[in-house]
Amino acid sequence: MRRTPIRGAAFVGVVGLASLAMFGAGAGASTEPPGTEPAGTEAEGTEAMATEAEGTEPEGTAAELTFPDDLDLNLTFVQGVIGDEFYISMECGVQDAAEEIGGISVDVQGPDAFDATLQNPILDSVIASGPDAILVAPNDVEASAGPLQRAQDEGIQVVLVDTVVNDEAIGASRIASDNFGGGVAAADALAELIGGEGTVMVINVNPGISTTDLRQQGFEEQIATYPDIEYIGTEFSNNEPARAAEIVTATLAANPDLAGIFATNLFSAQGTATGLVQAGVQGDVPVVGFDAGPAQVEQLEAGDVQALVMQKPYDIGYQGVQQAVLAVLGEEVTPEIQTDFVVATADNMEDPEINQWFYKADCDE
Amino acid sequence: MTAPTQLDTGAGDGGRHQDADETASPRGILHRLGSITALYTVAVFAAEVLFFSLRASDRFLTTNNLILTAQNVAVLTVVACGATFVLITAGVDLSVGSVAILGEVVAAKTIINAGGDGLFDACLGIAAGVAVGWFVGIINGVGVAYLKVPPLIVTLGTMLAGVSAAQIITDGVNVPNRTLGGLGNDRIGGVPYIVLVGLGVVIVTGVLLHFTVFGRHTYAVGSNAEAARRVGINVPGHLVKVYALAGALSGFGGVLSLARFNTTSIGGHQSDPLEAIAASALGGTSVFGGIGTIAGTVVGVWIPGVLRNGIIILGVQPYWQGIIIGLVLVGTVWFDQYRRRAAVGAAGQRPGRKRIAAMRASRLATRRSQSTHPPTTTKQEGEP
Repeated sequence: MRRTPIRGAAFVGVVGLASLAMFGAGAGASTEPPGTEPAGTEAEGTEAMATEAEGTEPEGTAAELTFPDDLDLNLTFVQGVIGDEFYISMECGVQDAAEEIGGISVDVQGPDAFDATLQNPILDSVIASGPDAILVAPNDVEASAGPLQRAQDEGIQVVLVDTVVNDEAIGASRIASDNFGGGVAAADALAELIGGEGTVMVINVNPGISTTDLRQQGFEEQIATYPDIEYIGTEFSNNEPARAAEIVTATLAANPDLAGIFATNLFSAQGTATGLVQAGVQGDVPVVGFDAGPAQVEQLEAGDVQALVMQKPYDIGYQGVQQAVLAVLGEEVTPEIQTDFVVATADNMEDPEINQWFYKADCDE
Repeated sequence: MTAPTQLDTGAGDGGRHQDADETASPRGILHRLGSITALYTVAVFAAEVLFFSLRASDRFLTTNNLILTAQNVAVLTVVACGATFVLITAGVDLSVGSVAILGEVVAAKTIINAGGDGLFDACLGIAAGVAVGWFVGIINGVGVAYLKVPPLIVTLGTMLAGVSAAQIITDGVNVPNRTLGGLGNDRIGGVPYIVLVGLGVVIVTGVLLHFTVFGRHTYAVGSNAEAARRVGINVPGHLVKVYALAGALSGFGGVLSLARFNTTSIGGHQSDPLEAIAASALGGTSVFGGIGTIAGTVVGVWIPGVLRNGIIILGVQPYWQGIIIGLVLVGTVWFDQYRRRAAVGAAGQRPGRKRIAAMRASRLATRRSQSTHPPTTTKQEGEP
């Protein structure tokens, strides 16, 4: 699980597009710190991710930033958890950015589970190895702050990717997508799939995980704006597909008119699809999933889910390296960058503009 | 029940074994029947079904809801049947979830490598999944029986290693595969295949535990390992077989899980071991060994399964589920223990002073030789 602290509202659209536009316009090292904008109260994220009109290719974002040819930097990327396609895709962005900028050697580390007690010792070891910069997805908003503060004290540049810590003095730059905005996107996608009316529910992982909690909150706020959609609440799958299947079959028994489901992570969606198959209503009750690893894409192809809300981990990693290098060189960095969302459906998944953002299990694919 | 009867002459005695002696008497038969069907657990289950039926009969008490619930508990049923054997030997298997993951990963990879779609490839995958579970089970068994490492530790080790192995095999990325999808979700005559498969496993393991020498030896080893050894049972060998059986069933559970969800679920199955132990305990299996039935375990699987289903149908806030299931679990096991103590006490089988002294001596001797299997703990039920 990835955790982020509660961020304001969804200013993903504004900030995400702003930062992308800056790069796109060839503004060089950006001067405007988008993150300093107060969080908007409206959920502007919706238009931003509904269609990916920017045409930003994964490789496109860095081209306009210029870096010296004679770099000799050591950079360590500490993942939130190893073996997760989200972080693997981020690693691909890190590796590609390092290769294109040149003169950067990348080391990748990460804990077996998303747990600060596992990640902190890794961070300590990384700090001891003395890299020029650390790209890190901290596991806890408080517990991760200590080692990262030590890193900064030793002159190592820290860039936070995907997740953050509460202490705002930590991190030369913070790059993440906003899960609240993801929930908003999911609500819009589901509303479209069910034609704007009917009964919907959320199958979430566990209460208390900030990323998935934010997805749920974003969904709840946005779905409330549809007058003909009744939201009947959230159930928790405990990250077990079997539990999600149980929830779906029981909910269908109680609410035979259930029209659509938002499943906030892979296993919730997997179990949701199985529950619908069991009950014989697969396809009649659309499911919106979150993230786009190979398993989720397979679900989309098979019709288990009808839409996927995707983050852009590749972009986060790519921009993270850029910011880290700028920080090491003492140039101006962008303190906060929000990347946006893409919604993949069965109709648009063949489009390279969409499927370039599918997460990778392996950078060589 | 010849083996336990012989045991009684071989070593110290307990109330339970006297029950076995009295199998022929009417009270003994009733008592045995009582433990076989775990009547009190059935009563809890019936009360639960009655409660939900009264509150929401039109939605809860439907054939379709029943079938769907059966489908939902099928995988855990298979895993829990294996866990029951292990618990009866006074062991515990924490690795069942990891083994299930390993089973589904190996099955999926085997099917994919075999080329994909045919029935032969599917069977190959199923066999591979079961085999890898069996293999891990043997490791567990050897660790417990020959290396004398406590079962909690051995299976904790294989629990950790099993997930690692699955991650290594898959590079940490879940493997989608739909070849077994029909097994997981299709129906025959309105009944899902997976429910029939679960039922088959229940019947086979039930017969194995209650009507074969293997089953009697399992009880004997769990009741008193030293006594079992003295009457000529190969205790370590038997333990290896029991853990191998549990491993194979866990691997098979993983295969069924793959069939249901069409992809492996590394990162899932976290609660499998505890749910399997909870189901066995709910069904009257003693965590101290020597007592337990497959029928009880089946009811023990259904109690939380129906509870989760009913709670959602009634619209109870989801946060309450853990409290309710926890209370039912502890309450049922307490009541079962209470009933057993009462039954032993009422039958006037409290051992006399000399007998207690003899039992203690025997227990001490047993502990020295078999420290990994506190064999006599259950017998304390027979004491005042």
